[in-house]
Amino acid sequence: MAAAAQLTDEELFSELRRFGLSPGPVTESTRPVYLKKLKKLREDERAGARGSANKTRNSNNNNTGAGAAPGEGGGGRAAPGMGARLASPDQPYLPGGAGGGSRSRAAPPAGGGKVLLGFSSDESDVEASPRSQAGAGGGSNSSRRERASPPVRGLRPAASHGACSERNSFPPEAARRKPSAWWGAVARRPTATAGAQTQDMREPGEGGEDDEEEERQWKNRTVNGNRHPSLGGRAEYSDSEEEGERAKQQVLKEETAARQHRGRRSLSKSAGPFTASKCAAAGPGMMETGQQRAGGGGGAGVIAMNDRAEAAAAGSLDRGRNEEEAAVTSGGDCENLDTSPSTPRYRSTSSKNSPPLLVLPQPTDMDSSKISDPLGTVRKAANNHVLSGAAGGFNIEPRIYSATNSLPLGAATPSSLRINHSNHTGANHTYLKNTYKQKLSEPEEELLQQFKREEISTTGGFSAHYLSMFLLTAACLFFLILGLMYVRMRGSGVAEHGEVNSKYEIKINKKLILLGDHDCGNSIQRNLSVQETAAYLKSLGPEYEKVLNTALQWIMSRGEDVGIKCIGNDPNEELNNVTDVKYLESTRPQMSFRCRFRRAFITVTHRLSILLLGIGMVWGVLHYMKYRWTKEEEETRQMYDMVVKIIDALRSHNEACQENKDLQPYMPIPHVCDSLIPPQDRKKMKKVWNRAVDFLAANESRVRTETRRIGGTDFLVWRWIQPSAACDKILVIPSKVWQGQAFHLDRRNSPPNSLTPCLKIRNMFDPVMEIGDHWHLAIQEAILEKCSDNDGIVHIAVDKNSREGCVYVKCLSPEYAGKAFKALHGSWFDGKLVTVKYLRLDRYHHRFPQALTCNTPLKPSNKHMNSMSHLRLRTGTTNSQGSS
Amino acid sequence: MSSTSQKHRDFVAEPMGEKPVGSLAGIGDVLGKKLADKGFDKAYVVLGQFLVLKKDEELFREWLKDTCGANAKQSRDCSGCLREWCDAFL
Repeated sequence: MAAAAQLTDEELFSELRRFGLSPGPVTESTRPVYLKKLKKLREDERAGARGSANKTRNSNNNNTGAGAAPGEGGGGRAAPGMGARLASPDQPYLPGGAGGGSRSRAAPPAGGGKVLLGFSSDESDVEASPRSQAGAGGGSNSSRRERASPPVRGLRPAASHGACSERNSFPPEAARRKPSAWWGAVARRPTATAGAQTQDMREPGEGGEDDEEEERQWKNRTVNGNRHPSLGGRAEYSDSEEEGERAKQQVLKEETAARQHRGRRSLSKSAGPFTASKCAAAGPGMMETGQQRAGGGGGAGVIAMNDRAEAAAAGSLDRGRNEEEAAVTSGGDCENLDTSPSTPRYRSTSSKNSPPLLVLPQPTDMDSSKISDPLGTVRKAANNHVLSGAAGGFNIEPRIYSATNSLPLGAATPSSLRINHSNHTGANHTYLKNTYKQKLSEPEEELLQQFKREEISTTGGFSAHYLSMFLLTAACLFFLILGLMYVRMRGSGVAEHGEVNSKYEIKINKKLILLGDHDCGNSIQRNLSVQETAAYLKSLGPEYEKVLNTALQWIMSRGEDVGIKCIGNDPNEELNNVTDVKYLESTRPQMSFRCRFRRAFITVTHRLSILLLGIGMVWGVLHYMKYRWTKEEEETRQMYDMVVKIIDALRSHNEACQENKDLQPYMPIPHVCDSLIPPQDRKKMKKVWNRAVDFLAANESRVRTETRRIGGTDFLVWRWIQPSAACDKILVIPSKVWQGQAFHLDRRNSPPNSLTPCLKIRNMFDPVMEIGDHWHLAIQEAILEKCSDNDGIVHIAVDKNSREGCVYVKCLSPEYAGKAFKALHGSWFDGKLVTVKYLRLDRYHHRFPQALTCNTPLKPSNKHMNSMSHLRLRTGTTNSQGSS
Repeated sequence: MSSTSQKHRDFVAEPMGEKPVGSLAGIGDVLGKKLADKGFDKAYVVLGQFLVLKKDEELFREWLKDTCGANAKQSRDCSGCLREWCDAFL
């Protein structure tokens, strides 16, 4: 065999040809490569002659153009490459290559460690961390537990009944799980059927147990690659808000939580036979589980609340009993089973729950004495689990919201509790069950009543309550009496005087006091004429006649007010003589109570109205000022937006000028205005524009205002005077465009069927980074354009304040939602990886009631499809106008 | 499933024009300098080499490793990037 180094180019060429290769030109640079290849081919030949198939295969793996193993790195994209290679003749490795090219993620172990290692490192960094995490988890289970990661990886000591019950229930559960679970459960099914079911304590929460068992089986396998992809897949598309380990933990926590929830749902669906087997296993196994779950943590706060509620319920019912027993008791029920053993767990995890999750336990702390409430909450929380399990759920906050909503409702669902407990087939602890039930029904009603009244009364006792009420009524009465007295005082005043004549005056007074009634009776006449007085006095008694004059004189002589006023013909005239007196008027009329009250009431009302008027005026002024202030702020913001736009326009114009020397380096101001503001807004934005212009003139140093003559007219122009950077032109980062798909959607990372017609799309935007008013419209447009083939979208809502960049979409039916899911999930948008989840329809309506009536499909507003421009490029068009 | 880097996407999104060799996926500063020293200062030159090797990724990777000492991942990224570019534009 000729030494490789001495081959000429032509000889090298022909040697390679002999091996079936179709080499390119052998030039300076390609020569060493081809030499190497020739060497390898020759070795293979020798090895093949010796008959080592493995080596051949391996070396063929490396050498031949098929490149199966590295071809995998291209994944789906290898297909055209594969086609090209396959086209070249003499490919001995054709079947292997094809198999390699189409090899999916679940690489069979036969591939050999080398291939799999290459495969896993082929992935992006997102994969690497879950791999390391999984590796760490596999290595140190206990430490993972302490880190509040899902207890999924815990290896538990064997408990026989746990194992056998699990075996019993596994197949039915498998069947049940199929439609409901989608995060990897389906993919795991085939791997989970392999034996090793030696360990296992069943996790409370069938879903968690099931996954745990499957995960353990994975661990039994030595193939790492099997596990990683789904993990990575999960991590990639699931909602991880933080980076690194913590995110994955949380993700996995949520997943197991969701899985547990789903498990619960499937549990509740088939209560009977399953609970029998479960409860059989429940008894002794439960304690250990509980112990070992310390640190495990259910993850979601709802679970924690559920546990706590359960603990409270159990504790308050059977205080003297062993907690575990009580846990088991209530654990006979399907749902309670999941949470009861976690009572010891809760203690250790409560501190680990993230702050928003801690909100939940506190309300339940307050109601620790109430039985019905936590139980009702359990019921509701279980329902919440069902919901979240079914749909993948909202994130934590809506769960909290709904769970706390259930707190007041908890009182109203005693019947559901009874139903719950009627499902009790535990039967080991019937005594406990009965007492529990009885206690429930009797004090139930009373507790409900109490709860309905108020929450505070229990702690302080009844005395406090009554005391406060008493004080309140006393104060009211006091004021009432005061007012009445005041009102009555007005009319009382029969002044007693020591004079003889006063007796008669008293009579006159009395008569005149009657005048007060006239006043209220809307009688015009307030005065009593002298004649009438005389007549009245005569009617009282004959002796009164004479004294009338003396009485009048006495009254007049008295400087002070005796209750009678003498009035002459003219009310304002001064009276000197008795004969001038024509009328007598009472200054202190005694009016009836009703009259008095009316007067008082009218006075009070008048005063109140004046007061209210004053307050109203002040409030109005404040409101107006506030309105003005917000308007001011809005305008300032608009002004800044405009300034930013102008600067951008000028800068880009400047750059364009750099390249194209024909353009003038300045832009007339009116032209800029007209190009930035659409015609219909010009009038509105005139003020904003002017402010922007002034701002630029005063504050922007990179822009200079000049006057130029353009086309015969003088224009004020702007000139950008910042020299551009000397580096290469920065690639324009496209904004708000779809940038392709990160991964192909397959069974493992998407649900097999669409569950609901509502979607929650995450990571579409960053609320902090968005500027302007209408970016949410751009987001909506982008979504519509991406799903332009799907005419089933009826409602889109962009949650502008969400940290995660959430957009909610409702479709006509689950199929449309599935289509949209496929189009959106895993796509890159504006540099962010978009993920999609299903939501429950009623939750969606609860949050967006306006979506109830929407049923017209939405379409993108224009045909430009701006957000798809980058994707269009990738399909091979040579249109390089990659503008966003 | 393989996810692509931003660099890859940016490169494949448009004709490479006069882009420097550092704009290829997998080629950073160090490798870029090495390639430039060998005369491959623009991305199209590396493309030329790729085409001369008849768009054979394996061979290209070998070549890249020999020329600038790229490791497996870098060379894989680069070859994938070029191949996709060719699929899109060639």
